[in-house]
Amino acid sequence: MERAVPPTVPLGQMEVFQALQRLHMTIFSQCFSPCGKFLAAGNNYGQIAIFRHSLPSACSLSAALSSEAKEESKKPIVTFQAHDGPVYSMVSTDRHLFSAGDGEVKAWLWAEILKKGCKELWCRQPPYRTSLEVPEINALLLVPKENSLILAGGDCQLHTMDLETGTFTRALRGHTDYIHCLALRDRNPEVLSGGEDGTVRLWDLRMAKEVQTIEVYKHEECSRPHNGRWIGCLATDSDWMVCGGGPALTLWHLRSSTPTTIFPMWAPQKHVTFYQDLILSAGQGPCVNQWQLSGELKAQVPGSSPGLLSLSLNQQPAAPECKVLTAAGNSCRVDVFTNLGYRAFSLSF
Amino acid sequence: MAPKQGPLDEVIRKRLLIDGNDAGDDRRINLLVKSFIKWCNSGSQEEGYSQYQRMLSTLSQCEFSMGKTLLIYDMNLREMENYEKIYKEIECSIAGAHEKIAECKKQILQAKRIQKNHEEYGVLAKVIQHHPDRHETLKKLDAMGKELEHLSHIKESVEYKLELRQKQFHVLLSTIHELQQILENDKKLSELEEAQETSMDTDPKP
Repeated sequence: MERAVPPTVPLGQMEVFQALQRLHMTIFSQCFSPCGKFLAAGNNYGQIAIFRHSLPSACSLSAALSSEAKEESKKPIVTFQAHDGPVYSMVSTDRHLFSAGDGEVKAWLWAEILKKGCKELWCRQPPYRTSLEVPEINALLLVPKENSLILAGGDCQLHTMDLETGTFTRALRGHTDYIHCLALRDRNPEVLSGGEDGTVRLWDLRMAKEVQTIEVYKHEECSRPHNGRWIGCLATDSDWMVCGGGPALTLWHLRSSTPTTIFPMWAPQKHVTFYQDLILSAGQGPCVNQWQLSGELKAQVPGSSPGLLSLSLNQQPAAPECKVLTAAGNSCRVDVFTNLGYRAFSLSF
Repeated sequence: MAPKQGPLDEVIRKRLLIDGNDAGDDRRINLLVKSFIKWCNSGSQEEGYSQYQRMLSTLSQCEFSMGKTLLIYDMNLREMENYEKIYKEIECSIAGAHEKIAECKKQILQAKRIQKNHEEYGVLAKVIQHHPDRHETLKKLDAMGKELEHLSHIKESVEYKLELRQKQFHVLLSTIHELQQILENDKKLSELEEAQETSMDTDPKP
């Protein structure tokens, strides 16, 4: 691992330093490679680690056993220093990995990333209002239809960057406080953004303006004033949206903008996603929660970290049945769930 | 291994091959050879004959065990064929089971989609139930519309009456004023006439 360590530190102290680093590590973001064989994880020290997770070739008993056999390969294949500050968000396209941290977004080639000393392809900063601002980029979103990347974060704006030319095309303003999360609505080309100001805003990309604002904390059923009004996580399914954070985790019907189901989870949730007929959520507390749309808790699977910040599903189209869920958060470990019912094993920085 | 052990291994191998499960065949053949030599060297007729009989019985025992071994070998061959056949059948059924599993997985996905739609429907239905029934609301709207019309008719007629009364009062008041004016005029005229008469009276002779 490359990190800033003075060269004259004796060996014992180095190990102590490493152990302390791992103790205080938080993994903010994860991303699967386009082939599905590698997982990239970014932490609060700015490092990105690549783990090999080879998918079972056929979903059979032997394949499950082979994934158990990979116990010894729980360490990353390669770790490199990507940013000076924490790596808050990562997304991946067919050939590139985009990582974003304090104010800048960098691109890496998946083909090059496994080699030692890999350099980023480019590093860009969206146009901020003043040059003194270096706001963090909390969320990245890929819009495949128009081949662009949306960044959102501390400066309360959504910036769109065209991937072919690399120029920043739009800056959507509307949020009054920083933005936590983004989601893409497939059918109408709209982007949803949720932020610290407690609102979920829908933006139309073609017209480049705000279409709708949902003030979640104003609805009595879901607001929890003692937690605050911040929206920490968003997921959408074109007609439906789940959002949570300060207010309770709620399922909204977007066309009528009404909250339909409140999920009875007292802990604020930091990441939520739709999966088949379930909604998976994770937040404070070590468990990944599986909810049915009617509000029932179907399962609560404990992980190894005391709090979870991100979930990622291996959506490789070649083997749609063999999906793998990984969860990471306030520790140096990434939990891998091959079957949603239990934690198979953990990868560790 | 030391080179002297080489031929020893060969010997051990050969002996095991010949009679590995120690059924006594090897011993019997050795005994037969020894008894044949004894018989050749026997003296009297009876001893020779009994020894001859003994040799024949040993020989028949050897033939019997040989026949048994041949039958066992035959049986083994046929068992192997049988096992091959069963092995192929099991392979086919494994492949079939794989396909069925894939099929069932597709069905599971389909069922999950249906379940999800079902749940979405249920959730929306709950929300819709909160709102009042459309027919009732429409009826209420109709009734209120009619009331509104009725009331506006009444208002119109009341306003019309008000205007009419206003106009009538206006006519009345203006008539009264005119009459007043006429009366005053008459009064003034009569006063003037009186004044003229009195002035003519006081000033009669020029």
